[in-house]
Amino acid sequence: MENNIELKNVSKKYKGFELKDISFNVPQGCIVGLIGENGAGKTTTIKSILNITNSTGNIKVFGKELTKKEKEIKEEIGLVLDDSFLSEYLNVKQVNSIMKEIYKKWDENKYISLLKQFDLPTNKLIKEFSSGMKMKLKIATAISHNPKLLILDEPTSGLDPVVRNEILDIFRKYIEEDETRSILLSTHITTDLEHISDYIVFIENGKVIFDLPTDELLESYGIIKCSKEDFLRLDEKDYISYKKGKYQYEVLTNNKNNIKIKYNITTIDKPSIEEIMLFYIKGEK
Amino acid sequence: MNMIKGLIKKDLLNLSSYKASLIIVIFCCGIAIISTGSINYGPIIICTILGMISLSTFSYDEISKSNKYILGLPTSKKEIIKAKYILAIGATIIGGILGLLLTILVANMMNYLRPEELININYESLIITTIGGMWGISLIQAIQIPSIYKWGAEKGRIQMFILLFLLILAILGIGFLIMKANLNINLEMIESFMNKFGIVLLILAMVVMFFISYKISYKIYKNKEE
Repeated sequence: MENNIELKNVSKKYKGFELKDISFNVPQGCIVGLIGENGAGKTTTIKSILNITNSTGNIKVFGKELTKKEKEIKEEIGLVLDDSFLSEYLNVKQVNSIMKEIYKKWDENKYISLLKQFDLPTNKLIKEFSSGMKMKLKIATAISHNPKLLILDEPTSGLDPVVRNEILDIFRKYIEEDETRSILLSTHITTDLEHISDYIVFIENGKVIFDLPTDELLESYGIIKCSKEDFLRLDEKDYISYKKGKYQYEVLTNNKNNIKIKYNITTIDKPSIEEIMLFYIKGEK
Repeated sequence: MNMIKGLIKKDLLNLSSYKASLIIVIFCCGIAIISTGSINYGPIIICTILGMISLSTFSYDEISKSNKYILGLPTSKKEIIKAKYILAIGATIIGGILGLLLTILVANMMNYLRPEELININYESLIITTIGGMWGISLIQAIQIPSIYKWGAEKGRIQMFILLFLLILAILGIGFLIMKANLNINLEMIESFMNKFGIVLLILAMVVMFFISYKISYKIYKNKEE
């Protein structure tokens, strides 16, 4: 499987924060979720991929080095940033007239049909839009030049569940239209990813904690709820972290089948991505 | 080039909200010319307003946090800066020409309608004043654009005024030193030289100012993190 993005040992140092040797791939036909707390390094990773920030390491997009073929590569990227867009003082028609100049392959008809589909008003300024409408406009703008790769930074944050679901549907359709496409989606709303992502990359304190297929993550990880005595029987190598509750221990393992056989434990809960993330961040070892 | 066109279009569309205020200013200028009979201020005012409005695009970018997004588009930092300079220079030139034409139009119209109170139109002096005004606003732009890239739209404005103040202070200082040194300066010769080559020198100085300013802006922006 070819990769649309390849990151090898990407590092970046800021005052008080460091992105350390980030490596992961975004294969064609896949949605990769980049998860982590606020300030974990997700946006810095995205900025490094787009060469917005100067980082070290090796970044390839569509098999080419970004710094050498930046414009050519960016023609094939659709971009959605949570906190940044062209301007708040434009209307959607004006956005169209600007983007026509910017992207060689800008598809005006597609853009207009997306605006209709998303029910976006043409006469209002963007600053008068609701958060959901703004995000839909950003997505319509990002996909109207039929890019091979979508890079989305927090596309669902601050949106209600109905709009979030609509937006996730758009991403699903986008991927289904062409198997060479891919999406890199950074979010801290991990429930969204359980439904649409193929891989999850978890970043914490500027480091990749895991990079796994979503199915494998949800199948092999488990939460054991047990008494103190049972917890003390567990070998440290067999679990990732634990949380001490008032009446019981909760233990996260990444090999639940092994635990079941080794310790004869029958009930192991299937964790959500959010729970896994919380165990890594807040759990003890 | 298309990318630069797109960026300029974005800035112009952002500035379209100034349309009404611009018309009011032009109208007020017209009234001032009619009532005072002094035509030299018209081009300077319009040129200054257009030149300064063009710089407010930086504030629009800052409010919308659009720089990060724009850097993710198929563009380069060089093109982003070029677009800003083209807009600033264009606004000054258009402001100068528009101001000059409007002043001539209003003055001639009034002379036709009110022949008993003729407004004296000295075209040569009007052109020199217009170019002088354009030079002045170019100097402000050439200082302000790198200041904005360095300190941002809000702080940049303050820094620009400090720089301008220091510049005026330096010029006054040099003048004072010349006076103190009792140097024998042939003012007539300077005046005749300026009459002959003044316009060319001003235009050349504008080109040099913008060139240096562009280079400084690029150096600042190249290393800036969004």
